[in-house]
Amino acid sequence: MKKAQELLKRMMVVMAATVSMLLASSSFASADLGRVDATHSSAILHSEYAVAEAGETVWLGLELAPREGWHSYWKNYGDSGAAPLLYWTLPEGVTAGEPLYPTPHRMPIGPLMNYGYEEPSILLIPLSISDDFTGRSIPIGLEAEWLVCEIECVPQDGSWNAELPVGQMQVDDAARHVFRAARVALPEMAIWSSELTVYSAQSRLKLHVSEAEVEGVSDAYFFPAGEGVAEYAAEQQWSITSEGLFVDMQRLEGGVDATSGDGVLVLTFEDKSQRAIEVEAVVNQDTVVPAKAGSSPSVQALLPLWQALVFALLGGMVLNLMPCVFPVLSLKAFSFIAANSKTETGRKQEGWAYTAGIWVSFMIIVGVLLMIKSGGAAIGWGFQLQEPAFVGSLVLLMVLVALSLSGMFNITVGVEGAGQGLASQDGNKGAFFQGVLAALVATPCTAPLMAPAIGYALTQPAPVVFLIFSLLAFGLALPFLALSYSPALAKLMPSPGPWMEKLKEALAFPMYLTAAWLLYVFNLQAGATATLALLVALIVAIFGVWLWQSFSGRISRSIAVLFMVGAIAGIIYQPFSAPPGSASQESSEIQPYSEENLSKLLGDGETVFAYFTAEWCITCKVNEQVALFTDDTQALMAEKGIKLLKGDWTNRNDEIANLLADYGRAGVPLYLLFPKGQSEAIILPEILTPGIIADAINDIE
Amino acid sequence: MRNSTFSLNQFATLFLVGVLAVVAVPANADNKRAPDFVGVTMTGDHIRLSDFRGKAVVLEWTNHQCPYVRKHYSSGNMQKTQRALTEDGAVWISIISSAPGKQGYVAAEEAQKLTAARGSYAGYVILDSDGSIGRQYGAKTTPHMFVIDENGHLIYQGAIDDIPSASRRTLKDATNLVLAAWTDFQAGEPIARPITKPYGCTVKYSDTID
Repeated sequence: MKKAQELLKRMMVVMAATVSMLLASSSFASADLGRVDATHSSAILHSEYAVAEAGETVWLGLELAPREGWHSYWKNYGDSGAAPLLYWTLPEGVTAGEPLYPTPHRMPIGPLMNYGYEEPSILLIPLSISDDFTGRSIPIGLEAEWLVCEIECVPQDGSWNAELPVGQMQVDDAARHVFRAARVALPEMAIWSSELTVYSAQSRLKLHVSEAEVEGVSDAYFFPAGEGVAEYAAEQQWSITSEGLFVDMQRLEGGVDATSGDGVLVLTFEDKSQRAIEVEAVVNQDTVVPAKAGSSPSVQALLPLWQALVFALLGGMVLNLMPCVFPVLSLKAFSFIAANSKTETGRKQEGWAYTAGIWVSFMIIVGVLLMIKSGGAAIGWGFQLQEPAFVGSLVLLMVLVALSLSGMFNITVGVEGAGQGLASQDGNKGAFFQGVLAALVATPCTAPLMAPAIGYALTQPAPVVFLIFSLLAFGLALPFLALSYSPALAKLMPSPGPWMEKLKEALAFPMYLTAAWLLYVFNLQAGATATLALLVALIVAIFGVWLWQSFSGRISRSIAVLFMVGAIAGIIYQPFSAPPGSASQESSEIQPYSEENLSKLLGDGETVFAYFTAEWCITCKVNEQVALFTDDTQALMAEKGIKLLKGDWTNRNDEIANLLADYGRAGVPLYLLFPKGQSEAIILPEILTPGIIADAINDIE
Repeated sequence: MRNSTFSLNQFATLFLVGVLAVVAVPANADNKRAPDFVGVTMTGDHIRLSDFRGKAVVLEWTNHQCPYVRKHYSSGNMQKTQRALTEDGAVWISIISSAPGKQGYVAAEEAQKLTAARGSYAGYVILDSDGSIGRQYGAKTTPHMFVIDENGHLIYQGAIDDIPSASRRTLKDATNLVLAAWTDFQAGEPIARPITKPYGCTVKYSDTID
């Protein structure tokens, strides 16, 4: 019995000891690893496990609680601030990983933007314990520095020295709710693949999701973890298409190179609920500025390549009907009339030479365009006409061609010698040159279908750009190329005679008119003094040609060449070019386009009609004359109280180039109708009629 | 007559080449040019950045009440950097963009006292209380450093060093990024890290843009 009693006693003692030990350990475990009260915040180091185990990873949580009205920072603090710094002192075999941060908030401060937390936040830190760790506990040493700011900033610091027992892994019940809350505040794991494309002055995040998965999203914002992805204070644009979800961000041109595509995407839904998703995007660098996703779905990446190609081909064909190509086409038509006198092979060869002329010119222009774009300049189609040197040279070219048609000199433009059975080789050269001329004068014109194709092209890699422009060139050449294959048509042409000489002379006049119009554009771009200089250069050049043709001596020819080169150099280097003044003579009711003016009018709830034009854009001028500035249209706009904004792209203008790019365009014209204060515009076609404008205006009522 | 024919084909070729030459020029345009500005110094002088063309210029955004600025001044780190660069011939300009009533704002007299008290080697201290120069440069934090070469090109912009801490203890392990950029520049080598992310207090700009 005694033995039994003793045994019982012993058991009781052991049990009591065990219970007290358990109590002791649990009371130890329920306490966190220590709390620091700093001047403007407090910090608590939590452990999820009361007992850790060798070979396992346990989680620590650092809870930072700034004082009311103050905030702490995310790992990327945005424009200013500092991320928490943690310095661990741990025994061998134990390592602390990178902290996981809760989803941050945006905190705008004046012109800057910070990312962080206005409420207590918990950073989760994994502590990995190696298999061969033999200690009975882990001494954890932490020196932390974290910044809190209200408007002023006060760095906080704290240090911890704690022991975490090691044995059989055991969760700390008291810490459960802390870690549950901490995990809820984390962004969801990356579940969708994504890519981040970085351009010179913007970047675009593309998340591969289906439209159904992100249904009801009313806002999207990307917090980049890495530097160089976004200007933090700038607004982000987002859109959802069948390709996925896009977020467009502005970035500082020439800033830090973006190397990381990591971050957090926060989606806000119509019911105000939010979803934060971890993003680990693959980073691509690109130099070509993209069109804005979603703003005009017809020209997005959505536009399949084949469709862009078809548009380009048709657009090129329609371009033949546009006013700017007309003078050159009349030349071409003339040489065609002479078809009767040529062999079938000769005709076909000329057709192809003409096509080649157009194609080569287009490729050169596009090549230069891409080169400039890769330099970061915001330019688009028709850019060469924003360069007074180009316009000046074009004036010279037109005048020389016109003078030659008038019979002042005898230069080969493919129409002289008509009726004389000219050798086919000369005819080919002439046809090639006509192609070059057609391409040069065609660029200020935009035909229907062409604008979306070009807008699409300029967002694509170079080979696709060249492909699309090749089709555009082919489209422009196609009608004459096709005609050159038709023997029936050639037979229809009247037989050559002296009347052809007269017709040729008559054709000079449309050319002179083209020159006059180009001179007007040049005057607006470069000013009156430069225009005088251009006229002098023109006369010097003509004198040079005359000299060349009148005297065949070596010296006089050298002088002639000198005159020509001097004149061309004068035109290209523009010594008298003045900065463009305000050339607007339109009524004061039309305000110039700027983002600021537009947002102000929209902010006032106005309906706005914004038109983008250039003096060299004939399509634009025609639209303005026949549709926009007719009495009826103006009366309708006045009646509806529609405000007009004019974006003049005669000279280079980044703001307008950016807006055009936003709408997937690379050139003018562009007509936008913003219904009452809405920032989503209705895009009107490139060719306007009063009816189209009236319908659009009535539709938004 | 035929043999004196002036061929426009050649002219067209020449013409396209010419166009290429003309329009390709802007492609090389340098977007790293430091914007010019005029500022009023604490001694009432008007100085213009372009006045210093021919010399390297350092711009330092500062706010004497910011703990991050205090770290670099109380440890002597900023003065050491100022001394090294000014002795090499650079012009050091400290800029205070704090608006009146906000942290770090100082009137001319106080700025002079302060500059003397902290032993600054800055050649000029500009009082940019309307924040116009700060906004022009996109200065975000104090400190935020900009180094401009003799020709007015930005060669460095960003943080003073690579440990974003307010603690002086971190200085011994930190790399001074301004000195590093300067060393590369003096050696005629490309700057290894020409742009870094600045850290520190927000520049205390005025809320309204005048």
